[in-house]
Amino acid sequence: MISRRFLLKRLLLLVPVLFGVATFVFAMLHLAPGDPARLIAGRRAPDAFVQQVRTELGLNRPVYVQYGEFLLDVVRFDFGKSYQIQKGAPVSEILEARFPVTLELAVLGQLTGIALGIPLGVLSAVKQDSLTDHLTRIGALTGISVPIFWSGPILIMVFGVMLGWLPTFGRIATTYTYESVTHMILIDTLLSGNPAAFVSAARHMLLPVLVIGIYSMALISRMMRSSMLEVIRQDYMRTARAKGQGANITVMKHGFQNALIPVITVIGIQFGTLLGGAILTETVFSINGVGTLLVEAINNSDYPVVQGTVLLFALLFTLVNLGVDVTYSYLDPRIEQ
Amino acid sequence: MPRNGNIDRRRFLKAAGGAAVATTVAGCQGAGSNDGGTATETTSGEETSGDTDTESGDEGGSGTLTYARGNDSGTLDPQATSSGEDAKVIQQLYDQVIEFAPGKTTLQAGLAKEFELEGTTATLTLREGATFHNGEEFTSADFEATYRRFLDEEYEYFVGADTRSYYGPYLLSVVKTVNTPDDYTVELELKEKHAPMLRNLAVFAFGMISKSAIESSDPLRKNPVGTGPFQFESWSESDGQIRLSRYADHWGTKAKVSEVVFTEITENSSRAQSLNAGSVDIIDGLDAQTTSTIENSGNAELVTTPGINVGYLAMNMARREEFRSQKVRQAFNYAVDTQALVESIYSGLAVRANQPVPENMTGYNDDLDMYDRDVEKAKSLLQEAGYGDGFEIELATFRNPRTYNPSPSSAAQLVKSNLEEVGITTSIRTMEFNAFIEYTNTGKHDACFLGWMTDNADPDNFFYALLHPGVEEIPGGQDWVSFDAENFNTLNVAAWANPDYKQLVEEAQETYDKGTRAEKYKEAAKIAHDQAPWVFLDHAKELRGVNNRVSGFTIAPISGPYLNRVSVQ
Repeated sequence: MISRRFLLKRLLLLVPVLFGVATFVFAMLHLAPGDPARLIAGRRAPDAFVQQVRTELGLNRPVYVQYGEFLLDVVRFDFGKSYQIQKGAPVSEILEARFPVTLELAVLGQLTGIALGIPLGVLSAVKQDSLTDHLTRIGALTGISVPIFWSGPILIMVFGVMLGWLPTFGRIATTYTYESVTHMILIDTLLSGNPAAFVSAARHMLLPVLVIGIYSMALISRMMRSSMLEVIRQDYMRTARAKGQGANITVMKHGFQNALIPVITVIGIQFGTLLGGAILTETVFSINGVGTLLVEAINNSDYPVVQGTVLLFALLFTLVNLGVDVTYSYLDPRIEQ
Repeated sequence: MPRNGNIDRRRFLKAAGGAAVATTVAGCQGAGSNDGGTATETTSGEETSGDTDTESGDEGGSGTLTYARGNDSGTLDPQATSSGEDAKVIQQLYDQVIEFAPGKTTLQAGLAKEFELEGTTATLTLREGATFHNGEEFTSADFEATYRRFLDEEYEYFVGADTRSYYGPYLLSVVKTVNTPDDYTVELELKEKHAPMLRNLAVFAFGMISKSAIESSDPLRKNPVGTGPFQFESWSESDGQIRLSRYADHWGTKAKVSEVVFTEITENSSRAQSLNAGSVDIIDGLDAQTTSTIENSGNAELVTTPGINVGYLAMNMARREEFRSQKVRQAFNYAVDTQALVESIYSGLAVRANQPVPENMTGYNDDLDMYDRDVEKAKSLLQEAGYGDGFEIELATFRNPRTYNPSPSSAAQLVKSNLEEVGITTSIRTMEFNAFIEYTNTGKHDACFLGWMTDNADPDNFFYALLHPGVEEIPGGQDWVSFDAENFNTLNVAAWANPDYKQLVEEAQETYDKGTRAEKYKEAAKIAHDQAPWVFLDHAKELRGVNNRVSGFTIAPISGPYLNRVSVQ
């Protein structure tokens, strides 16, 4: 099982990873053209005023001093205040409002992907080379190959415009009010006890979740299939059958659990990818998550927001990976550090 | 360490996942704005449209007005922003002491019932009984606190140098002292005579903030306390929605609707579709494509008014010796086909320009001709100037549309081909706006596109702001200055410094008599036209899409939107 030493080791490993990411982001931002002080001051401001803003933000100090200060702040979980896009607001506050939006979308999309991908993968492996298998494989290949920035608009065209069944952008119709507690709209509308608002939110959520779901389903079902095929051919499977165990029980009991290990990895890694991919989904569907926030922040040289967002992504990615490793050891006790 | 195949597979997948992130992010750069567009949202506005006031009189508002725009606000603090997007909401929450008359450029009484500018003293007589949303009465103490928060760095509640927008120093640095002899009188003592002073007080950035709110610890960014016709209800950043409710005790024109919702719809076409479908009532940020969707819909109409702005191509005289010749500059004006520019490229959403200010401004000179396209004349002017063989220039431009330049890339291509016909080889350098401003502010460009949207609808805000060199003395015998010159006005990206022009706009700044002032600007406009430091391009129109269920909406060339005058059926 999972030893405390293993967990500790992995958690400590977070430090150099995050340090690396922080350094990289800092360097990229400071190398990129565009002066945040000028942007904040605006075109009308004379150089003297820009200089004052620069001093105020500490941007006039040597880069290594800024870098040191930035690292110190990061250690204290202080990402500073937004320069521009929500001027003066603490980055942590902005992320608090935006991150759950993305998380909700990614989790629901991933769940859809898992719910579709795993059964399809198993089915495909068990019935290898049948018509079902071929169709599933073609479907999966298409799902992987079609980018979100294409499938999104197509779904919008079909379900939003041609059929008029579903709303095509945003998270809820403007007519509904609800209290933002968790910033996850499905939960918030439920908490506010307004079923109509919940339905509106769910209808808004459907297309983006589907887009993400199809994409993640594709990879999961492919991985599930090949891993299942590998397992099916193992000696212990044949032994189980030989001693008289039913085919279904053998597959589900002995095969499935073992075949799941590499799939869990894919799911974990893909979850990180989905958070990144949220930039596309959010742009296509006009959803105010971290993805659109990051793009906006980059365009506006809003250093603190960019740094905060990227570090959050990095932290999440590594944590998800840790989660994957822990699940591993649970599924296969031999894998232990 | 390599325990079995799984670890390696995981490494491989990790790498594969990383690559996938990279490709998705890269893919998103080009995507976005054009696709995903045609969208409808089918939600009925009436169903849950808020608390319906049952009173039949003209008191009390009813219905929800939804205003859709391309971006959410960044702040609700009037002193922390110069963004037009922020201003739209701030205008509903705050009042100024002096206001722009709705739909016009003239001034009218706001929180000050009387205002007067004489010599170096501006006197404001404040309205009695106007109240803030927290119930407190507006008095001269609030004016003083608002002023000091914006400009007085010694003040305990100073907004902060990193938060303050430049509007404070820009509009009010001419003020020497603020005196408040009693609760309803404010006297501003100016350092020198300054004709635009009263107009500066009407800019949204100088909305009156409650003194107690200034002194409280709640940040004004999300806790606005003004006297405006609407009061703040909620702001959901994750939905890009701001809700305001009618302020029943407003001193002026009370709102006719009970609620206003500002909502963000990023895609232009989605915004237009929502308007046509009736799920939003007013939209802005329209381009040529979306205007035609609205015109054809039957559910909504397009409202337009001439804008107070100017788009131009500035020729940097400090950097390129060729541009120091008036003939070369005129040749450029004759070479560029502004007719084609406004008609084909800007799709008729703009009119041609021939001077720094648009027609609806004081100081606009009717007697000036357009520089109609004339290739032969341009060539001969270049010949006379000694550049018959042409030369090479770099034209700097920005990537994203601006009001005065709705399609910068196509415009740059047109200019390039126009100039090539007269022997000028042009290379185009496209940048993000932020980087572009830094580039042009430091004078690195040969020529550049730029433009201006007015702050206060005063001619000084064009003539002085954009073409005054800023320096005390222009070096003898030349009509340009270097970007390094002391006090150089970096907005003057042509680096043009004409002594006669300079004197005229300085005099006009201190001239209070309207007629005399207008004459000075007309003369200045003629000098600018003839000397041609810019290729005068266009004045863009202001456009809004309005659903048919909305009545009473007037489009304002400055300030606004005046949503308190609007009602919905």
